[in-house]
Amino acid sequence: MSKIRTSHASHKTRAVRHKISPTRLVSVFLLALGLIALAFSIIYTSSILAFIGLGLTFWGALLLYVGTEKYVKQTLLDPTITPSLTNLNQILTELKYQGKPTYLPPKYLKDFETTKIYIPKNKNTTLPTPETIQQQENKTFLKNPEAALITPPGLALSKLFENTLGKTFIIVNIEYLQQNLPKLFIEDLEIAEDLEIRIEPHKVAKKIADSASVTQLKNDIIHVKITNSIYTDTCKQARKLSYICGAIGCPICSAIACAIAKASGNPVTIEKTKCTEDAKVIEAYYRILEE
Amino acid sequence: MNFSLSFWDISLWLAVTAIILLITSELISPYYGKTNILINKKRLKNTALTTGALFLITVAIRIYEIITST
Repeated sequence: MSKIRTSHASHKTRAVRHKISPTRLVSVFLLALGLIALAFSIIYTSSILAFIGLGLTFWGALLLYVGTEKYVKQTLLDPTITPSLTNLNQILTELKYQGKPTYLPPKYLKDFETTKIYIPKNKNTTLPTPETIQQQENKTFLKNPEAALITPPGLALSKLFENTLGKTFIIVNIEYLQQNLPKLFIEDLEIAEDLEIRIEPHKVAKKIADSASVTQLKNDIIHVKITNSIYTDTCKQARKLSYICGAIGCPICSAIACAIAKASGNPVTIEKTKCTEDAKVIEAYYRILEE
Repeated sequence: MNFSLSFWDISLWLAVTAIILLITSELISPYYGKTNILINKKRLKNTALTTGALFLITVAIRIYEIITST
């Protein structure tokens, strides 16, 4: 019985794979019609047929060329992402991790292509040395110092950014991100309608005067403004999760934090996130920590 | 039995096609907001630019011919 079911399922999969979309069918039809018209134009020496043939062939081929990407509905994004974010928020709330989540650059880890989030158990805990973290890198909950080491929700997204740009963020600087991320977000991946990245030196200077800690004096604030992203619904949901919004970040804020941590080579925290009521404009403030 | 279009006919066809493609590509550009057109916009833009460049090459050939004939 199970064999019959398996065979039926594989047959169904094959049928779906071989199903041709209407756009593809029209493209092939145009291409074939164009080639026939071109052939007839040569036989009958007709310039009208030649123009028609050339046009149909070109547009048929063009439709085949530009319509090859696979798309999924945007409404699928939110139900796929939100449960894992809710789980993460619940785990951290129940275990009472109160420290500020910090995005660690690759030098804190053995794998130089990744970043992780370090969440200390208690507030006002200093970041341990890279060697201390490397010793316990494979664990999620560290004992000495007591903290959690988790994979950022936007890690895969930041790797997609790297693959699309064809460059790893380890070898670039913040200015590179400032110049290339807007194009990547708007044109290449179409994640958002607009993206602005600003490094705020004046705010840093103000912080110097206000701050009591010497280590915070050199910290840079990076202000990122995302307009009308595809993650608006996720952002609306994430606002309810205290550990996610403004700390770990939603996938898009987290991906940018990963990119900044890699590019700067320093630990990064999400200072705060702001978003409009309809979540169309998301503003995130990242702080690059000096060691 | 021969192909009835001359070099200049092809040049004209390239010009018209390039204009259509360049305008289309600019209209559906993500910089002016999201559209629901499910095509690879980058590929369309590249095709438009290539067609435009091909037309310009035909123009360059024409100019070269005019200069060398005088």
